[in-house]
Amino acid sequence: MTNYSWPVNARSVVFVSVNFDAESFDLKETSPERLYGRFSYGRYGTRAGLPRLTALLQKHDIPATFFVPAADAKRHPNEIHALIKDGYEIAARGIDMEDFATLGDKEFQILKDSRDILSSITGHAPCGFRSPNGNLSSQTLHFLSELGFTYDATFQDADNPYVFELKKGQRLVEIPSSFALDDAPVYSARHTHARLISIWRDEFRAMHEEGMLIPLTLHLRGDFGSTRGARIAALDELLTEIKSHSDVHFMNGAAIAAHTRTLGLPGEPDPAAAHAQTLARTVFRGDLAVKPL
Amino acid sequence: MMRKTKLPETMRCVVLIGIDFDGPSHEVGRGISPLGKQSWGRYSARCGIPRHMDMLDRHGIKATFFTPGYDAEQHPNTVQEIDRRGFEVGAHGYLHEGWDLDGDEERALLMKTDSILRELTGKAVLGWRSPSGRKSDKTLGILKSLGYIYDSSDKDYDAPYRLRFGKGTDDVIVELPNNTYSLDDFPFYKFSYTPPTEVLAQWKSEFDSIYKTDHFYCLSVHPRSGWGSGTASRTKVMSDLITYMKGHDGVHFMDYRTFAQWCLENDDKLEEMSLT
Repeated sequence: MTNYSWPVNARSVVFVSVNFDAESFDLKETSPERLYGRFSYGRYGTRAGLPRLTALLQKHDIPATFFVPAADAKRHPNEIHALIKDGYEIAARGIDMEDFATLGDKEFQILKDSRDILSSITGHAPCGFRSPNGNLSSQTLHFLSELGFTYDATFQDADNPYVFELKKGQRLVEIPSSFALDDAPVYSARHTHARLISIWRDEFRAMHEEGMLIPLTLHLRGDFGSTRGARIAALDELLTEIKSHSDVHFMNGAAIAAHTRTLGLPGEPDPAAAHAQTLARTVFRGDLAVKPL
Repeated sequence: MMRKTKLPETMRCVVLIGIDFDGPSHEVGRGISPLGKQSWGRYSARCGIPRHMDMLDRHGIKATFFTPGYDAEQHPNTVQEIDRRGFEVGAHGYLHEGWDLDGDEERALLMKTDSILRELTGKAVLGWRSPSGRKSDKTLGILKSLGYIYDSSDKDYDAPYRLRFGKGTDDVIVELPNNTYSLDDFPFYKFSYTPPTEVLAQWKSEFDSIYKTDHFYCLSVHPRSGWGSGTASRTKVMSDLITYMKGHDGVHFMDYRTFAQWCLENDDKLEEMSLT
């Protein structure tokens, strides 16, 4: 990662991204008639959470990218218009929280439709994408590139952005993130916001010291998101510390992708190709599951 | 008569740092494509291992990289760089298997990774750590027949010992036991989401106890992101821990092969435990 360099005067760059995941997330488990009770945490995100989060971002003058499932965008066009008006980037996240690893023949059309739905609401095509559950198929990056996307933000394999060169001349920027700086794993494991902020403070300090991308990944929801009052207050404290460093810059995904493209980095090969043969003869055992007694 | 392992007075504490390479093999071996959030293993060769080697060099200490054969095939330059910089390359399965294997399969897998690593480094592989913590009653015999001098997979003791796995004179191997609940990064970063500063406190506390009693500190980490120690904050935890341990008299940092060799040369100081 030695080839990467940030704009002048920036030691490190914070990328705040927000996974919108409102009703679309609850609808994975229930039907539209039953979006009540425990299935209303998504609605909390847009009713109570979003105004509180944008107020915090505005207080600190921080840009952000919102990855929005297209179905949620259709349900909340006014919120999306307000975000655009305030200068936030709207990026793609499928339509209905699909698992991109298993869409098969439908994948291209879903990506295309999600792009077109967002375009019709925002007035321009999104340039970034993040998979709703973090999974991709071997085709996803190719399709993104064909559909005019300039970056993906789903991988967790690098300290700084890099570039895939899927075919000669077909380049797609990757803006990697990290579960260590994602609120959902921590809050969904029912940890306190004090614990989350201790983790993030440790992470921020070390990453800033080494001068790298610092991807803070937030969710709007009332269950595993960051928008409850006390969680916003904890985040406020951390952002205040981060802002006290004049050499930390804040950039949204589109700006980071544009900056990355200016660096002339060597392109990395298709990340699926090297494993295709082995995967074809390997039994699917699923993710590592560890549970307490 | 049972002789308890007793390290000499000059060895107040032996510190072994084992870094399980765990690149994309971990996902690919489970049938998962290492893309998107499943790309954590790609972090190992790209960022985690170089950062660990640089950190260890700054401290002037050696460590062992337990490497699945598949990751070595995917990242041959990284494996050669590990060896070139004087760190040990140990074996760690081929596709990070769950190791529920029958005898023939097991021998073939152990031989496969052994020859991949041997070819890349030009050196004999001397030690193995089970990728899942599982072993069979055949594993040690196969390892011994391949020339391995130690295993580091068992959880049943606080000190190194001679593990007798058969009745023959040579049916014995050095066991360097590890603990994947307290002296490992996985439980804290994957499971309990413990802040790095708390993990540092935990590992220092482990050291304080071990320094007084068992004198054998065997730490297991992973250079991947997600649940590993390859990232900036977590490599700093390792570095701060090493600094803390260096502040104590008689602490010896070694790679596993060096200590296993010492164990072979001083086998009268090691307890023998028989499973036959």
